[in-house]
Amino acid sequence: MAGFSSNQKLIKSRNIITLDVLKKQKQLIFMSAPLLVYIIIFAYAPMWGWIMSFQDYKPAKSFFDQQWVGFKHFEFLFTDPVFFNVLRNTICMSIINLVFSFVSAIGLALLLNEIKNIFFKRTVQIISYLPHFLSWIIVTGIVANVLSTQGIINEVLMKMGLLTEPVTWLSEEKYFWGIVGVSHVWKEVGWNTIIYLAAMSAIDPCLYEAANIDGANRYQKMWHITLPGIKSTFIILLIMNIGWLMNAGFEIQYLLGNGLVIDYSQTIDIFVLKYGIGMGRFSFATAAGVFKSVVSITLLLLANAVAKRVGEERII
Amino acid sequence: MFKKRGKILLSLLLVALALSSFNGCSDSAAKDDKFEVSIFRIDSLPQPDPDNKIYKMLKDEFGVTFKFEFLAGDLKQKLGVMTASGDYPDLISYDPLLKEAGALIPLEDLIKDNCPNLYAHYKPFWNQVKEPDDGHMYCMPDYGRFYGGVSDLTYEGNGFWIQKAVLAEFGYPKPTTLDEYFDLIEKYKAKYPTIDGQPTIGFEILNYQWRNFVLRNPPQFLAGFPNDGDVTVDPITYKAEIFANKDIAKRYYKKLNEVNAKGLINKDTFVNNYDQYMANMASGRVLGVPDQHWQFGKAEETLKLKERFERTYVPLGLTYDKSIKDHYRDRSLLNLHRGYGITVDCKDPLRILKLFDALLDEKWQKIFDWGIEGEDYMVNEKGRFYKTPEQLKTMGDVPWQSKNKALALYESMPKREGFYSDGNSVRDLNQPEVYFSQLSAYDKEFFGKYGISSPIEFLNAPPENLPCYPAWTIDLGEGSDAQIANQQMQDLGVKYLPRIILAAPADFEKIWQEYVDAFDKINVKAYEDKINKEIQFRVKNW
Repeated sequence: MAGFSSNQKLIKSRNIITLDVLKKQKQLIFMSAPLLVYIIIFAYAPMWGWIMSFQDYKPAKSFFDQQWVGFKHFEFLFTDPVFFNVLRNTICMSIINLVFSFVSAIGLALLLNEIKNIFFKRTVQIISYLPHFLSWIIVTGIVANVLSTQGIINEVLMKMGLLTEPVTWLSEEKYFWGIVGVSHVWKEVGWNTIIYLAAMSAIDPCLYEAANIDGANRYQKMWHITLPGIKSTFIILLIMNIGWLMNAGFEIQYLLGNGLVIDYSQTIDIFVLKYGIGMGRFSFATAAGVFKSVVSITLLLLANAVAKRVGEERII
Repeated sequence: MFKKRGKILLSLLLVALALSSFNGCSDSAAKDDKFEVSIFRIDSLPQPDPDNKIYKMLKDEFGVTFKFEFLAGDLKQKLGVMTASGDYPDLISYDPLLKEAGALIPLEDLIKDNCPNLYAHYKPFWNQVKEPDDGHMYCMPDYGRFYGGVSDLTYEGNGFWIQKAVLAEFGYPKPTTLDEYFDLIEKYKAKYPTIDGQPTIGFEILNYQWRNFVLRNPPQFLAGFPNDGDVTVDPITYKAEIFANKDIAKRYYKKLNEVNAKGLINKDTFVNNYDQYMANMASGRVLGVPDQHWQFGKAEETLKLKERFERTYVPLGLTYDKSIKDHYRDRSLLNLHRGYGITVDCKDPLRILKLFDALLDEKWQKIFDWGIEGEDYMVNEKGRFYKTPEQLKTMGDVPWQSKNKALALYESMPKREGFYSDGNSVRDLNQPEVYFSQLSAYDKEFFGKYGISSPIEFLNAPPENLPCYPAWTIDLGEGSDAQIANQQMQDLGVKYLPRIILAAPADFEKIWQEYVDAFDKINVKAYEDKINKEIQFRVKNW
């Protein structure tokens, strides 16, 4: 996109902001102002609240009447044996979701892209992205029913002779992460393909025509044209998603989890809800939030740096 | 043009307003002086219908209107936002967080000096309604103030519930021990492996989120203690002790482990969510549950609608052996820490208190409980209240209630329970005329076999409560060590108890020991100390 005829002068002048440049870009600056205000109000201003994590915050007292406790809440967080367990669960489930959702979304997008019958393509697309609009409370209800001993999964496996007696899927620790990953795919795959399909439609058709003339088959075209064509989109989405790694979600684990799988189902958010907000320990909840943010920003910067190193698109 | 006309209109309005306010000044009757009360309730209820007849009566009589806000989403988050901003409604459902944030005003002097009815209402419990730490009353408890004795014909509490069909099948026995109970279930399940084509479920234990007390509470009852939550209280020394890791609990879970090995416990029971639990209960194929009735009452309603009366339940007061007297039922209790508090933002607290004071009058209580005479209920020549078949049908009908009942206000308000001075029961279902007219023929015959008239008679009449009862209403303090320990104990129970029950019988001892070891790592002492301190306070002051 950066154009082929980039001369040295232009690149250099990019880094120096002069009045002239500002004038030229005044429309852009004007357009970005509201967003900037939005970010300052809703992202930077609340960071003032991080101070709470060093206090024993009590609601309705003024700032100066709060008691300062130093790193007490961070200490509680890092010394609780459950914390490392929930940290592990959060990160593992995030990675599983990341891999599952990227593979499935790109796979489905590739397949849809090959379909020439518009009606069939649209139908598949609509059906696959409808679950996106369901809330997790409904999705987990469906999942719980499907996986119960009288649910369809057990029925089918037993009819096929693969099982002799029904399995209670949700009571086995080893299945839980997989169930969460698959549920995510079912709910979000259609929605996630949209952006890849958009990226694919932006690929120059000349490339395909040239490949046709060179005698490339379908798979070769996919591999050599379509996939490289969406690579930049893929990298940017990946970097952004790595920033969300500490957020494995809350609802699905909270609603599907139970005592038998608690060692694998509890995420940081659930832990914080139970031991923080649920007990009016706002300072402790903030401390956990600070920790999550710091880790997220570090991961984001790391991913960005790696992308830069290997010469790919990047955000910052 | 338009603007000019607008101005004229505006000035006319102003004049009218001024005139009317003069008028208001000259006429000093309080009735014309309208006031609005804003209320936040922690339950999620539907907004009352704008044409609701009871609210209309209140408006005509007292000039009061109500603006309700109900909880949507997470309670603590909502309260956190409220306390951070300092914006409160006039009336709010009590929560310890609000007290701690200084959002509530002390009520004891206002009530004592100005509200004779309210004062008389709470006077027998005057020391209970005041908080132990600062001696102020912040909350007006909603339920549990009985007049003229307890009138229960219905029972919503704890018990080992069993399907009527099981008892009927074996000649109407009355099991009193855990062993007898599971024997019956085992025999019945062997005889009828399916009900309506679906596999029979012997025993179901709900273990879903905050409802996990179904799994954790029963041992105290089996050992003959009443419901004190997570502790048993010695009736002589008043010393409270955790029971979850003690032998009285072990005995129960050992029994469950055994019956699980026999296939009596539903395989899915510990992964079922509340909806799945209710679906099982409503299917009529669950033979027994150790629950509180209000939890599965709705499922039983479905069975009644389908006229499957033999699949509905009665409570049994099981104990470990016959020498222990069951103590499932308890004497009426003031519902501490549940009800309205008045916030610091309320402009005229006294006016609200005086309103509640006036509404405690029997005339108004009858309107709230029974409705309008001749419309919602009838009175016979002896002065007894009853309902016609049409009026019975409206009971529990939600759209009807939103037009004809003031539940959103009344459920949390100070109220009478028990009887009116004319002998009628406050709650319609506890009025024998109403109760027996809605009872099915099957139930009448069933209860007849036992020589009783209502399921509540399956349980022992409750003895006198200990002066500190019940321990579960003790406020542990927001974010205190005691509260953290309590949460950890719950987490441990939810995690280990299902494993213990589902384990192969040979592994029972091993997993139980793991559970007990994990328990030892929790600061149980902080919890027990807090409970014991409050119990001592109660014994001294209540």
